Amino acid sequence: MTRLLLPLAAIVVFFLLSLITVRVARPRDPKRFFLAYALLLLAGTAVAYLAIWPLDTIDDALGLVSALLVQLLACLTMWNAFYSLLWGFSGSMMFDLFTDPSLLDRERLIRSYVGDGPVDRILARRLPNLERGGWVAIEHQTLRLRPKGTVMAVGTLAAFKLFSLGMGGGVK
Amino acid sequence: MNVLARAIVIAAALFAVQALVVAAIAAIRRTANIYALIIVVACATAPLVFAAGPSIVGEPLSTQGRAFLALMHLSLGGFLFHFMTLPDRSVTLRIFVELLLAPGRTLTLEALGSRYGVRTMVGSRLDQLEQGQFLSIRPDGRMTLLPRGHRFGRFVTAGRRLFNIKSAN
Repeated sequence: MTRLLLPLAAIVVFFLLSLITVRVARPRDPKRFFLAYALLLLAGTAVAYLAIWPLDTIDDALGLVSALLVQLLACLTMWNAFYSLLWGFSGSMMFDLFTDPSLLDRERLIRSYVGDGPVDRILARRLPNLERGGWVAIEHQTLRLRPKGTVMAVGTLAAFKLFSLGMGGGVK
Repeated sequence: MNVLARAIVIAAALFAVQALVVAAIAAIRRTANIYALIIVVACATAPLVFAAGPSIVGEPLSTQGRAFLALMHLSLGGFLFHFMTLPDRSVTLRIFVELLLAPGRTLTLEALGSRYGVRTMVGSRLDQLEQGQFLSIRPDGRMTLLPRGHRFGRFVTAGRRLFNIKSAN
């Protein structure tokens, strides 16, 4: 099990590199850095593992694959925690409720999300990115799904059905 | 087939089996929490994978090899957990599905709001936070953060300060 020290070290390095990047460099799109670090560290772990434990038996191969999976899972968990908890819907809501006690009222909180503009706070942050990314086209206050978005929608609908998720979107 | 390719095929098969088991149980127990289900399935089947390691791989395995196989299985459960957050919780993916199901795959902002509006999103998320005992909601709509909610709020606030996050939702 000493073989698992390699992914453990890589996980620590991933965390520190990500932390330094976000705190010091403050990039506009940190996920590109996270992805680059995760891929480079995976390659590093694979090279180091193969140098120390060549793949002579199936045990060696299982050790390599499990080490890479554990490392990738830990990086993905940190990445997901960063985006889902700190940037996500529930995290943002808890941040609002924790830092602004006047929002501890259901209607007032909903009104803060509805806002005064033509689109609510949730769509306002997403729509420009979706249009820029080629997922949807927006014309005259109307959204049209583009081919790239259609592929994602079909896959999502399949997951809804396969795992009995209802209509997803965080709505129960 | 070399040993690495075999290990990758075994990992893919373990992932597929776990996903199918979760899907089958979710179909029977429709009210079950999908995330708890994934954790239970991964943890309950890991000892089976350890015990049946040689049969799964098709050749004798050392104890260490069996442990790696069980660890691989648990990790794959973790990936399934992460994957599930996408269709289950993503606002963006839900918007895509609403557009897919709409005539001509087109919706006005107003029509989208009536199918999947901010009131539904916020209301449902508050209900989930209440069920998770992060907060309590009185019949008049007044809310109180519970100890778990205070901890979550402190964590998010500290995290946002740490990472210099100014705005998000």
